[in-house]
Amino acid sequence: MSWRRSQPSPLGAMGRKRLITDSFQVVKRQHRDPDTKEGSLQPEAVLVPAESPTDSSLHSAQLEMLKQFDLSWEYGPCTGITRLQRWERAESLGLSPPLMVRETLLEHVGDPSFMHCLWHDYPL
Amino acid sequence: MFSEQAARTAQGLLAPPSAEASTFARVPVSTYVNCSQHFRLGERSFNRQYAHIYATRLIQMRPLLLERARQKWGSGIAVRKLCELQTAEKCCIVGTLFKSMQLQPSILREISEEHNLLPQPPRTKYIHQSDELILEDELQRIKLEGAIDIQKLVTGTILALYGSEREDGRFVVEDHCFADLPRQLPRRGPSTDRFVLLVSGLGLGGGSGESFLGMQLLVDVVTGQLGAEGEQSCAAQISRVILAGNLLSQNTQNKDTINKAKYLTKKTQAASVEAVKMLDEILLQLSTSVPVDVMPGEFDPTNYTLPQQPLHHCMFPLAGAYSTLQLVTNPYQADIDGVRFLGTSGQNVSDIFKYSSMEDYLEILEWTLRVGHLSPTAPDTLGCYPFYKTDPFIFTDCPHVYFCGNAPSFRSKELTGVDGQQVLLVTIPDFSATQTACLINLRNLTCQPISFSGFSADEDEGEMEISH
Repeated sequence: MSWRRSQPSPLGAMGRKRLITDSFQVVKRQHRDPDTKEGSLQPEAVLVPAESPTDSSLHSAQLEMLKQFDLSWEYGPCTGITRLQRWERAESLGLSPPLMVRETLLEHVGDPSFMHCLWHDYPL
Repeated sequence: MFSEQAARTAQGLLAPPSAEASTFARVPVSTYVNCSQHFRLGERSFNRQYAHIYATRLIQMRPLLLERARQKWGSGIAVRKLCELQTAEKCCIVGTLFKSMQLQPSILREISEEHNLLPQPPRTKYIHQSDELILEDELQRIKLEGAIDIQKLVTGTILALYGSEREDGRFVVEDHCFADLPRQLPRRGPSTDRFVLLVSGLGLGGGSGESFLGMQLLVDVVTGQLGAEGEQSCAAQISRVILAGNLLSQNTQNKDTINKAKYLTKKTQAASVEAVKMLDEILLQLSTSVPVDVMPGEFDPTNYTLPQQPLHHCMFPLAGAYSTLQLVTNPYQADIDGVRFLGTSGQNVSDIFKYSSMEDYLEILEWTLRVGHLSPTAPDTLGCYPFYKTDPFIFTDCPHVYFCGNAPSFRSKELTGVDGQQVLLVTIPDFSATQTACLINLRNLTCQPISFSGFSADEDEGEMEISH
């Protein structure tokens, strides 16, 4: 059975709302080098080791959690600041943001799809 | 008082010169702590919108307001968010006020060519009978009616309202309350008379030389070169001088040279260059003798948005050599000899004056303290840096002396708070117009004006007066 994607409908083929990432794929600027080891001197920018198929679902689940963090209104506006800055602001104002978010952000420091908010690529 | 003490001690000027010249040592600085770190900006990024500062302002002030609301209307009142409101239910809501004003200058209206409108002439007040108040919280907004003074309040105030929602969707207000004065640390003032001199609006570079004599008299009084030994010993008790803004005159901001093309203005010097040189010489005379704190004001060469950063020390090559010269931010907060001072150069108060029916600068100053925020109209009508983490203009501690510069006249008042706070409110007059400065006695927190006047071509009597 094949999935029909020719007619775009609001609910889409998988029964969920269409996301902008359906039309414009998220481009991650990373060097996928499976030979990278931690601690070795590399002259280039941050090298992220390649992901195995099981990791990519974890990756997307984490991104989904961060997106929900962006969209929750209790922690204030999300545009114009990084997610870590927003988390720290929420923490200092006593709003008790979820710790999972901070751990995920600290694991992926330097990865723009994690650090910046959902609307980062759009102008002010 | 200054002159009573002078009258009691020592000899007047009509005495034979003494064998030795008497010297008076100035009172030493016992404690001074500059508490304005949260007004300093490090790396500045303007890639943010102002939604952050309003959001943090509401989140930070909401618990204070709920506490005041429960104290005022009983602890059993229902506190609702705007999305939870039900018709005709008496409840308390907390949010940010927005006043939609018909006469508020709007850049969109100015550039709208369809209407062929000329730009609006500047007015003293922009209030109008048709202004409306709207309360906003994190998610919704609602129009307000009822027992609330629309003309008096301004945009950006955080307040708590008690009332109910009507069928047509407006909130009928029965009562309102503000955050009121925050807690105050105990005052550990000096046990002997010690004075701080507050001056504002020196207005150098203004073109008219009338205020020069007054300024020189002021400097001479402070440095002890004026009067008999009585006055000099009193002047030795001045432990600090604070210059609260507008050191340069408005005339130095010459719009013509700013808007002209660069090749036409290459040889002309900005008017502020001469004025800053004069300021440097005055500060040199003051700094050799007394610690001076210099706050920038509306017309001074620093950034326009609040909080204004200190003037750069390279502009003061002569006075900058002395460690007594301190260049500080606007607003400025410091602990001087155990007394907490907090003040601005007056931009916050004059901005509220434009958009509110309140006429008196002292009344507006007291109102900002009661509302719990230094300048609620920032960033709506007053330029402000887009903070995102905290709003530094919220009062965290109640000051002992709260001042604002560049007011039309000298006024002062002692305010007592609900929890026993004692605050001295002072509006410092514009020196270039009124030739008046303020002396604050740190021992008992009293304030008195000191004015200088010189010869004027119109007057018949040519008397130099230093009156108290």
